[in-house]
Amino acid sequence: MSDAAISGILQEISRSISDLQGIPQVKKLVDKALKQKIAVEEIVEKGLKRGLDEVGSRYEKGEYFLSELLYAGEIMTSLFDVLKPHMKQDVIDRKGTILLGTVKGDMHNIGKNIFGMMAQFSGFRVCDLGVDVDSKTFVEEAKRTGADILGMSTLLTSTLPEVKVVLDRLKEAGVRGSIKVIIGGNAVTKQFGEEVGVDAAALDAVEGLEICKRWMAEK
Amino acid sequence: MTPRERIKAVLHHRKPDVLPWLESFYEETVLNWFKQGLPPEKIIVIEWEMGRGGTNLYNWPAVKGFDAYSYFGCHGFYGCVVPVDIGPLPRFKQMVLEEDERYLTVRTETGAIAKRIKGEERTWYSMPMFTEFPVKDRKTWEEYKKRLNPEDPRRYPKDWNRDDYIDAFENYQRGPTMLRFNGFYGFGAELMGIAPFNIALYKDPELIHDMASHWEYYIKETIRDAVETLKERIDMIFWWEDMAEKHGPLMSPRLYREYCLPHYKNLTGFLRRNNIDRIMVDSDGNIKPILDLFLEAGITGLWPLEVNCGMDAIEIRKKYGDKFFLIGNLDKRELAKGGEAMRREVDSKVPVLKDEGGYVPGADHLIPLEFTLERFIEYSTYMKKLLPY
Repeated sequence: MSDAAISGILQEISRSISDLQGIPQVKKLVDKALKQKIAVEEIVEKGLKRGLDEVGSRYEKGEYFLSELLYAGEIMTSLFDVLKPHMKQDVIDRKGTILLGTVKGDMHNIGKNIFGMMAQFSGFRVCDLGVDVDSKTFVEEAKRTGADILGMSTLLTSTLPEVKVVLDRLKEAGVRGSIKVIIGGNAVTKQFGEEVGVDAAALDAVEGLEICKRWMAEK
Repeated sequence: MTPRERIKAVLHHRKPDVLPWLESFYEETVLNWFKQGLPPEKIIVIEWEMGRGGTNLYNWPAVKGFDAYSYFGCHGFYGCVVPVDIGPLPRFKQMVLEEDERYLTVRTETGAIAKRIKGEERTWYSMPMFTEFPVKDRKTWEEYKKRLNPEDPRRYPKDWNRDDYIDAFENYQRGPTMLRFNGFYGFGAELMGIAPFNIALYKDPELIHDMASHWEYYIKETIRDAVETLKERIDMIFWWEDMAEKHGPLMSPRLYREYCLPHYKNLTGFLRRNNIDRIMVDSDGNIKPILDLFLEAGITGLWPLEVNCGMDAIEIRKKYGDKFFLIGNLDKRELAKGGEAMRREVDSKVPVLKDEGGYVPGADHLIPLEFTLERFIEYSTYMKKLLPY
């Protein structure tokens, strides 16, 4: 099969994801690529990830909204189910490990889950600690996993101080220097991020992911 | 003018003698204030109860017997409300499914399973985490739908007597009279969960169309008696949606147009035919991308206009003129800081919007837990000086 033909199929896959053409259509294209013996790695990198990147970009531009992000996530999940049997090894180029959780006192998880899903499909290993995570657990898990990035979510203004508590604990444990810290959630502002001393404050999941990618590229 | 006449005037873009001021309080905040110096003799019973009128999926704590609104001299959204129950009937049996030192997992009266942090102070404020929702697919929706029957006699109070209620709504003067119900996005997201509902918008359009159609029928027929009886005595519709986050609407404008707009129009048309045209949507988050569609839908008012999410009442006023009445938009984070930060926030909006009309000042959401009593008193004292014309 010619390079142009391969590139054409991969572009079709990418476009079908970014245009949210529907799970059956995207699956059909991935099946076609597999039948054409295109390497799974290439399908993931040049088809799936590019498609998802474009979804993120449209979200940032205000063309897509949460409904589109979530559906793109659903498409990606179903595609990984199709590709799994063909994967001889972990084909995703692991960009790094992100430790993720909603801070103590806050039970919200939607934004965190969307960020986690997108990070996973973009090649990060994601360790999701869930909601209402205390500072001790964040620190212990940061040490245990050797995570590159710690992502904390807080939707409530009343739980914003927890971010500082976690940062202090990381310092006390001597791991603050080896882990980047990013925060997100409705209550978070760039100003708060600067005041409290995190490495970045993201206003949405897509921005957060871009920052994490940049950090790992710079590493 | 009476408090009701004042707020009605503003909702209709007329000038009152004194600008009304409106807040909503988390019960936990008020409880905190008792610890911070509110007269202890005012403390009362705290009960867990179904959201007012059965409109919420959650069981909120309610502080009984203390009226923060009259105490501080502001309006609220809970004055004279049409007592129609739009919750599922029969209710699900509420029960504790699991309990440990920190969490309580319960089945709510609306059939969801919610895990929440124990303790009276933060359980409402931090919101529970829902681990299961009652509607998952067509089959579970068909089951649930049976509980959304407008003909159920329990939807109206036993003492529902049209003449008495006409009198009550005619004579009430402490604030606006209201009718509250949930919107087409809000109800679907409550029954299915935000993520499953949003995915179903793409994966199962027929189910969503059916849910929206039934909701329109159900709400219209349930409220019909009250609306046709009370008509313009209902000053304002409080239409709960909560359909946006910081970035924008949770549902794209294209999907809103497809799934919600026709039903909105039908419902607002029904209300207008009964002389009710002050129709306010309650949605947190950034709703700017969807405001044109709200207008087309027949919505005429907005609350709370969260500053943190980029909402700006002055900008909306410039763009839309008097097409919307606006409530809120004072940055609760700045107000809670007190002093200069609070005054700066109030001064940046209240005088100019007061002048233009159609604006009721207040925080851009419920008064949060970190707002101390001392700072709230400082804020309310400052605010009250600005209210007279």
